[in-house]
Amino acid sequence: MSTHSYKKFEDTDAGLLPDKMTVFQDCIRAFNSSPVDAKKCRTLIARLLRLLYSGDTFPRQEATTLFFSISKLFQHKNSSLRQIVYLAIKELSSISDDVLMVTSSIMKDVQNGDIVYKPNAIRTLTRVLDGSTVNAAERLIKNAIVDRHPSVASAALVSSYHLLPVAKDVVKRWTNETQEAVLAVKPYPQTGEGYINDSLISQYHALGLLYSLRNHDKMALRKLIQQYSKGLRNPLAICQLIRYVNEVLQDDSSLIPALFPLLQDWLNDRNHAVNLEAIKVVVSLPVTNEQFAAAVLRLQFLLTTPKAVTRFAAVRILNRISLKNPEKIVSCNTELESLISDPNRSIATYTITTLLKTGSSDNIERLIKVISKFINDISDEFKIIIIDAVKTLSLKFPQNYQSMLTFLIDMLNDEGGFEFKNTIVEALFDLIHFVPESRDLALENLCEFIEDCEFTELTVRILNMLGNEGPKTANPSLYVRHIYNRVVLENSIIRSAAVVALSKFALIDAPLNNSIKILLKRIVNDVDDEVRDRAIISLKFLESLESAEISKNVAVELTKPTHVYDLGLLESKLQTYISGDASSFATPFDITSVPKFTEDEYRAIELKNKTAKLEVETKEDIDTSGQSGSANESLQTAELAKQQILQELSQVSEFSGYGAVLHTSSVIPLTEKEAEFVVESVKHVFKEHIVLQFNVENTLDDALLEMVSVTAQPDIEEVEEEFVLSVEKLEPHGKGTVYVSFTRPEEPSVFTTTFSNTLSFTSKECDPSTFAPFDDQGFEDEYQIEDLDITPGDFIIPSYIGNFDLAFDELTSETVGTYQMDSESLQSTVDHLIETLSLHPVEGKDVFNETSHTLKLFGKSINGDRVAVLVKMVKSAKTGITLKATVKSDSEEIAESVLNGIA
Amino acid sequence: MSANLGLYSVKALLILDNEGERLYTNYYTPPKEQKGDEENDGPLSTLKKQQAFEKALFAKTFKQHGDIILFESHIVVYKEVADIVIYVVGGLSENEVALSSVVDGFKEALDKILNYQVDKKAVQENYDKVCIAVDETVDDGIILETEPSIIAARVSNTPKNEPSLKNIDLSEKGFMNAFQFAKGKLAERLQQGL
Repeated sequence: MSTHSYKKFEDTDAGLLPDKMTVFQDCIRAFNSSPVDAKKCRTLIARLLRLLYSGDTFPRQEATTLFFSISKLFQHKNSSLRQIVYLAIKELSSISDDVLMVTSSIMKDVQNGDIVYKPNAIRTLTRVLDGSTVNAAERLIKNAIVDRHPSVASAALVSSYHLLPVAKDVVKRWTNETQEAVLAVKPYPQTGEGYINDSLISQYHALGLLYSLRNHDKMALRKLIQQYSKGLRNPLAICQLIRYVNEVLQDDSSLIPALFPLLQDWLNDRNHAVNLEAIKVVVSLPVTNEQFAAAVLRLQFLLTTPKAVTRFAAVRILNRISLKNPEKIVSCNTELESLISDPNRSIATYTITTLLKTGSSDNIERLIKVISKFINDISDEFKIIIIDAVKTLSLKFPQNYQSMLTFLIDMLNDEGGFEFKNTIVEALFDLIHFVPESRDLALENLCEFIEDCEFTELTVRILNMLGNEGPKTANPSLYVRHIYNRVVLENSIIRSAAVVALSKFALIDAPLNNSIKILLKRIVNDVDDEVRDRAIISLKFLESLESAEISKNVAVELTKPTHVYDLGLLESKLQTYISGDASSFATPFDITSVPKFTEDEYRAIELKNKTAKLEVETKEDIDTSGQSGSANESLQTAELAKQQILQELSQVSEFSGYGAVLHTSSVIPLTEKEAEFVVESVKHVFKEHIVLQFNVENTLDDALLEMVSVTAQPDIEEVEEEFVLSVEKLEPHGKGTVYVSFTRPEEPSVFTTTFSNTLSFTSKECDPSTFAPFDDQGFEDEYQIEDLDITPGDFIIPSYIGNFDLAFDELTSETVGTYQMDSESLQSTVDHLIETLSLHPVEGKDVFNETSHTLKLFGKSINGDRVAVLVKMVKSAKTGITLKATVKSDSEEIAESVLNGIA
Repeated sequence: MSANLGLYSVKALLILDNEGERLYTNYYTPPKEQKGDEENDGPLSTLKKQQAFEKALFAKTFKQHGDIILFESHIVVYKEVADIVIYVVGGLSENEVALSSVVDGFKEALDKILNYQVDKKAVQENYDKVCIAVDETVDDGIILETEPSIIAARVSNTPKNEPSLKNIDLSEKGFMNAFQFAKGKLAERLQQGL
């Protein structure tokens, strides 16, 4: 050790850690000296522990030396020294060798040591024992479990619990003693120094140990609950028992009526921990409404307790309920509202997100009012959470945009940092995007905001937004004035953004075009290069528009693109392009290989991602396995995988004359995942053809498949098989793709059919390592795989629409049908409909009310016909789920086939 | 989420000072379980990860007086006392109130042990007692005791210095003591010598 660190030790008063080497040497010296100075040793051990508990550790050899010199202190009679010696041994035992050596000394203390350190000795004993030496301690531990002193009993029970992984069989032998300890009431002996309360926590330890010894046996578990449901007094023990009750009930919900009285008692227990545990169980079970209400009533009470931890736990449970059954906890709203301004930020956040979930379109406005009352008293960080919540709400209840817009605008005009303002602007952007009615009002207020906005970045974004959305409004000249004001007053970055925005207005009509040209000509004299450049480019561009009519389309496409590229895919394609060698640059990058979205489609995707992200956030807490954040990615990877499939398809020369793929389904498994041959299928719809793609995987180790082919037999005559592209050879664990092409009839353009499929191949046994076949003959074989349905959904592309009701009224062809569904819940029916019809849920994706629900779906057929579906469903105990669907479309044929697809 | 049916419910007990520096940190793992390789051992398995966890946690909680927070998939119950903060860390499915009874019990026990003057200096000066108190509250992740009076009663006092020559007063009674002491010592020496 250097002198430098030695000096550090000199001023321990400063609170620095003691030097490791010094502590080591001091310890060795003091423990080996004679006579031993008890006080000094205890101080030294404390110093040693200080090192260990600060994350420092000793190399194995030094630790072992320490371990054995400390064990010398067993000779010393001072019991307070002995207590800390045990602690040190316990901590060192995991980093030292040969710890078994001290077993006999410890056992001696367990047998007849002083009560001060006897429990410590028992707990240390298990650290030095291993599976083979436990037997020696059996009698000692048994005796300790039934000891009258609660600390001794607890120590023995806890130690046995620690030993379970290595010596379950041995521990089983003291089941009887443990059983006895569960209900034993062991008061702590009074020592005279102040009154000592009893905790009876050994009940908790005994119950935990007993459960672990019996947990695989359901009957034993039930008996355990019956036996101990009344006598337990320690709250932790009761909590533990409630968890076991939960285990039993989750397994068999028919026992709820028998066990509910117990839960009811626990709901009314004095101890809040017990209440909470019971509530958690009740709300997670399929209980009756009255039983559920009893739990909610208790929660309501817990919300008002002075202890922050209890309120937190209660609101956390409510939050979880609100995701599934918000209507059941409406009664707590008053209590929740008073928690919005709770000093504990986590509580307040949970409260608000819960309230926003329970809020229906009726009480949202009141809630927003409550929030705006206290929003000025809280920090920016917290405001952001609230704004995010309001944003979600505005996407969920577009019809209430008015109050939310006002709220956001008020917030925008308040004081706040960049992060805060940025969140509001984002929220407003989303509103403009997804709630078209709000556009004008929001844009006007954004205009006013940039009048005195101190953040350049925000101003630039808003200007861009004005340029994109402004021309669509009723009164575009208003925005021109605002934008030009920026050109006059702001810095060069904003000025250049304003120039671009301005030029976008020029395309609307002639008078505006002229005035904008005049404005741009003025800007040409700007002092900044970039601003001048942009103004000149815009001017040139506008002039070229007038001169040649042909370029007008190009110009319009440039300024107001109708399509956007899939940016994620564009990025990955570009990356593969530039990572190739020089030869690949001979051909220019093919931009057409990147799929384009129309504006509506893009919005549909964006909205989907946004809502998905939200769900992920709220689920994060519930999902303990930590898979959060993956939903968004999986959406994108699914999209990428689809592109991959299409790319492979485009490389098959036989299909090159088919034209563009109009629709591609998701991947459908046709076999079990564990089958010998795993087959998945994808359906591609072309203008005149239908191609079924079968991905076949050979999972066998020692079979070589040749001439792998699929026979797909449609059940209607209009569809005729054209050809099959089979796979010549499939090695063990190899994958291949079989394509089967069919004609697509002109009439009907939308049809349904079922293909019955058979996989056929020649199988040869082969060497698992070289894949060389043992004989040339092989035998032909067939393998039945599941049927594949062509549904109306295969001819429809989900698409987003801003104003569903307007479009719904516009469409002419209408069909109506009423159906009975045998699905379990409304939510699963909704999910099923969205999936099979391949339509975009415009409204009502999530079910909030388990008795009735309205779903609005929209999409376009591959011929471009619009389809809008309005589904109303009712659930009743007698008849199950009844739904009435109204399908409207541009084409009668589509409307009918979509309706047929529902059943 | 499934409730924890075992007894291991506390993942860590920490005492940090008012700058977030470690005074006492103990991350619990069941003592007899097979240790996996480091990467699979969970988010708090290495010193580096632990320190990062503490730093972030401290920044989020210090001077907030919130008592509880969900932090990086853990429930953390905490208590600020003068210039130290006591944290108890548990899994997401733990009973919040049960965890808080651990913090409360431990804090009140410290009060009794340190004579109602719990602060950084007292913790450093009585580190032996603090260590034993923690050990009597949580044993490798199992809640051992939550009742403060019992925890306090379990913690032994620091031993007094053994009598040395300095402490002997030379009053009349003291003289007899001194004489007895000298006699004893002399006898001892003689025995050893012979």
